[in-house]
Amino acid sequence: MILSPETRELARRLLAYEAGLRTTSEPMESPAYHVCEKLRRSLSALAGVAGFQALISRALTLARAETSSLAAVKIAPDGSLEGLDQIRGENGQFDEGGSILIGQLLELLLTFIGEALTLRLIEDVWPNGAFDDRNAGKGTQA
Amino acid sequence: MSTQDKVTIQKLPTGVQGLDEIMGGGLPEFSFNIIAGAPGSGKTTMAHQFVFANATPERPALYFTVLGESAIKMLRYQQQYTFFDHTKLPNSIRFINLSQVVLEKDLGGVLDEITREVERANPAVVVVDSFRTMVRRLPGSSGEMDMQSFIQRLALFLASWQATTFLIGEYSEDELRDNPIFTVADGLFWLRQSTERNSVVRKLQIIKLRGQAPVPGLHTFRITNDGLQAFSRTFGLVGHKRKEPGARRLSIGVPELDKMLDGGIPEGDSVLITGPSGTGKSVLATQFIAEGIQQGEPGIITVFEERPQAYTKRANSFGLDLETPQQEGKLLILYLRPLDLSVDETMHSILEAVKRIGARRLVIDSLAGFEMALSPGFREDFRESLYRMIFALTGIGVTILSTVEVDESFTEFPFSTYSISFLTDDIIRLRYVSIGDELRKMMVVIKMRGGNHSRQVREYEINSEGIVIMGEGFKGYQHLITGVPERVSRSTPAKKLLNVPKPKG
Repeated sequence: MILSPETRELARRLLAYEAGLRTTSEPMESPAYHVCEKLRRSLSALAGVAGFQALISRALTLARAETSSLAAVKIAPDGSLEGLDQIRGENGQFDEGGSILIGQLLELLLTFIGEALTLRLIEDVWPNGAFDDRNAGKGTQA
Repeated sequence: MSTQDKVTIQKLPTGVQGLDEIMGGGLPEFSFNIIAGAPGSGKTTMAHQFVFANATPERPALYFTVLGESAIKMLRYQQQYTFFDHTKLPNSIRFINLSQVVLEKDLGGVLDEITREVERANPAVVVVDSFRTMVRRLPGSSGEMDMQSFIQRLALFLASWQATTFLIGEYSEDELRDNPIFTVADGLFWLRQSTERNSVVRKLQIIKLRGQAPVPGLHTFRITNDGLQAFSRTFGLVGHKRKEPGARRLSIGVPELDKMLDGGIPEGDSVLITGPSGTGKSVLATQFIAEGIQQGEPGIITVFEERPQAYTKRANSFGLDLETPQQEGKLLILYLRPLDLSVDETMHSILEAVKRIGARRLVIDSLAGFEMALSPGFREDFRESLYRMIFALTGIGVTILSTVEVDESFTEFPFSTYSISFLTDDIIRLRYVSIGDELRKMMVVIKMRGGNHSRQVREYEINSEGIVIMGEGFKGYQHLITGVPERVSRSTPAKKLLNVPKPKG
């Protein structure tokens, strides 16, 4: 599934927002991991663990078609992702793979339940994030 | 106990159009209800409508999904309905999936999970969809016995927490009888979807509802973009005082026929115009409506066999302008979808139209078309349904004129193929008569409950002004109603000329 520029941008904004929540003294963890974890908790409550697993599995497959950096990522029985922290680019920065994976997960939600409900769901997870407009292109940093 | 001592049970809106009236005002607050029915019968949609109508951020709704429809897919489909307000998610309405708990724990674990969520959210509404799947999947469950205990405990808990609850379960009709699970419920709603030939008919029944008196019987409902819409057998007229018939006479729009009717149709009557094809039943019906509009009485024409545009155009050829009154809101031509209708649904459309324009006159053109538009199952009850409908409409002061086609016969003089003459106050019979090399038309008032009508057989024609009754009539002929009259010999007594046989009904 080809990610729309709006979804790609929304994924980037979520990652940037989540990265902004971490202090520099904390061990450097992938913001993508935290975004996925928060979405997992919310979506598992809504759709069940199996429901979330099915979604993230599909998103991972789609994302792998776009980047090879996600090859080692695995899905645990509870739907959490293993190996996402290991993805690093050449300069030590977190790889684009995490952003693509989140983008694909969001794109699936947009396909299944539409923009309004997807944004409501994101707003519920990040109430202070101002992600209520997919075209806004800007997320309020914490 | 005096009225003051009694506890007042608040009634909550169901969010389903027509259902509040069927329930006797709404759903009792804090009640524990079961919606039962086969897959596809509308259970989930009905629960969703209730949830969206009642959930608030202060008192939200918790919607527990179990092993059944995927929550994601449920949201995908349910948001297509107009009642689905996405802004209510997740603050007012929370969907919680219990699949994992059901798969891993016993019914006690499920109850614990529900308890935890309820204590946390303090909901006004709780839905478990579908509770039946739990007993089929739970490990170590001994079936219905465990389920009965689970439901009993759940009901006790949720009532204490002041939540109005719906459990949704797939049950066949046979399982509804003597099922101990249902004894716990305060309300039991049964939704069914039956196939009759090529038609599908949806019906709902309130099998029980503690604390208030619902309208008994099976009520038809339809699922549209707006969700469920129920059609009460009492047509939403419960508590309406029946309007007593007045002494006023309504002109039918044909002066000579008004004279035959002793001054016109008594207001609030049901009139039947009966005759074979081409005798001018629809023309007369249109004149009745057009005359009403002239007199400042808005009207409704319900058509089943042709589109309103065609009906309007045809009326225009008789010099009757139906276009202008439609534009001015004095006339509505209802074309009722000729598929799988129920009389209750038709009645709902008519009543809505009556209220909208303040209609005083109604034409049903024709009863044969109406019957054909009904689902086969409803056709069997056509007479009973028609009785309820006519009684209800005349009860609110509407004067009804219905047309019905009868096969022309030269051996009989039937008034209707439906044996419905007892339902009507007045009957006007049209027919052809063969005289010489001409096929001429005759009209006679067969019956008039409220007056002393003419017994004359009159000749009429249909010209550019509509139906016009001719002055001379059929003087000099006898046996007119056979359709093949004979010239009267000079010796025949005059009183035999107009000897109309007793109606067969």
